[in-house]
Amino acid sequence: MFKKWMGVLCALSLLLSGCHSARQIETASVIENVSVHRENGQTVYTFYLLSDSPRSDAVAVPAASFEEAARLAEQAYIPHLTLAKLELLLIARDVSRETLWRDIEYIAEQAHISPVAKLALCDTKTLLRLRQVSASQERIVSQIDRLEQDNGQLMTDYLSVFNAYARKETFLVPLITCEGDLKAATMVLG
Amino acid sequence: MKQDVPFSSKRLLLTLTLCACAVILLQNHDLSADLPFPLQMGSLAAGLAVCLLLFVPSIWLKLRLDSDVPTLARKRSRAEQSVVAAVYTLYFLFVAAYFLLPYTDMFCKKYYTETSPAFVALLLLACCVYAAYKGVNVITRFGIFLFVLALVTNALLFGGCISEVDLRNGSFDVTGNMDVFWRDMLYYTTPCFTAALFACLSGDALRFRPRHVVASLAASGVKYALVMFFLTFAAGAYAERQAYPTFVLSRVAHFGSFAGIESLYMALGTMSVFMTVSLLLCGVTKMWGKGGSLRVIAVLTAVILGVQLLALRYPFITAVLTSPLWLTGFTVLTATVIPLVYALRERRQHV
Repeated sequence: MFKKWMGVLCALSLLLSGCHSARQIETASVIENVSVHRENGQTVYTFYLLSDSPRSDAVAVPAASFEEAARLAEQAYIPHLTLAKLELLLIARDVSRETLWRDIEYIAEQAHISPVAKLALCDTKTLLRLRQVSASQERIVSQIDRLEQDNGQLMTDYLSVFNAYARKETFLVPLITCEGDLKAATMVLG
Repeated sequence: MKQDVPFSSKRLLLTLTLCACAVILLQNHDLSADLPFPLQMGSLAAGLAVCLLLFVPSIWLKLRLDSDVPTLARKRSRAEQSVVAAVYTLYFLFVAAYFLLPYTDMFCKKYYTETSPAFVALLLLACCVYAAYKGVNVITRFGIFLFVLALVTNALLFGGCISEVDLRNGSFDVTGNMDVFWRDMLYYTTPCFTAALFACLSGDALRFRPRHVVASLAASGVKYALVMFFLTFAAGAYAERQAYPTFVLSRVAHFGSFAGIESLYMALGTMSVFMTVSLLLCGVTKMWGKGGSLRVIAVLTAVILGVQLLALRYPFITAVLTSPLWLTGFTVLTATVIPLVYALRERRQHV
């Protein structure tokens, strides 16, 4: 009798598990990278989807904040959007003062976004390059890693940037520029 | 199922250590970030010292009489045994809810947002029924396996967080708000529920030495201190923004590009809660002298699930069931007062 009950419970656990709302990896829209820049006086968030194409698969969403952009993107542009694999947030230098803290604050409250994902400031040419060549992201990440090895004081992820902001200190972040090739430097924020 | 199989005292205390460590895995803003780190450690030491004190009467019973509360209660009248068993049953049901509520909440918030916490509780309790049916000896054997998993998980958790340690995230002041100190101390006394389990299950333990209890609490203290160190200096203010700050450590832990050990963390949390609830069920059946009775275990599990459903519906029930103040108060009664009464009675008889 006991074994029968255990069998029933095991069957129930398989049948009633969370798989009913599961999403296949092919149908999920995994976001690898998000960039923020200003276009015609409006802040635009661009979501770069994980894909094997040489050209970036990107969706640009005009929005006032990361939170609004993620919501609008899911509602109107990318129905199965997931930010769990977000690896890089690139912020154009000219919008960093108004968006950085607000967006990092939002990210810090999200359970599914990794706190050790990379963050960097950049110029407009870098964003243009990123849109044209999907491999640019890997180059940017490797540049950030190299810069981090050379400079121990550099804040390269959401966690360290958020904590530096919370301490009300000035801090160094990576700055990616595109002058023929992608280059990395540092910039003081705070 | 034969229930009264003797087992090593070391194995029992190892299992209780892992149960005590489950508390810190489920930490959800119970501790204040405002308290400087040295005071946090002082509060931890004071909390664990209280836990050790609560163990004293049951240690005496075990050392002098090689017995525990259920065995001594059975020697008395039927009415007395029923009253004592009822008190322990209520207490163990309370502790089961104390662990299940935050665990299911954490599981659903961090992993499966679309799944009902009640359903997660049902699945976990189904496993606990089977474990409780097998008895304490088998559960403590499982504790050895869990100890290895805990070692691996903790090594990855702390090793992976070292690169994020920044001493500027915390403070080394030795002055602070003493109200916060006492409130945090209350949280650190939470592992004292293991003293109640010890008072109930130690009768069949072999080769007991008081140093086993000290070692168990010291190991829990080291684990708590390490978690608090990395939480303060590696996760910092970031962890405060999320539910279950300790869980954030598992997301912060990284080795190069390999980041996040939340699956291991959740596995350790799940198994620790599973083992704790199974031991609590064993404790209740032992109190009523019905060890291994599937019917009794099933009824108790149904009651725990019912309490869980009520708590999910009415937030004030959750607030009561997850309050460290209530838990510690209730623990003092079951882990210390009742064993102390039996110790004094037995001592008087022997004199």
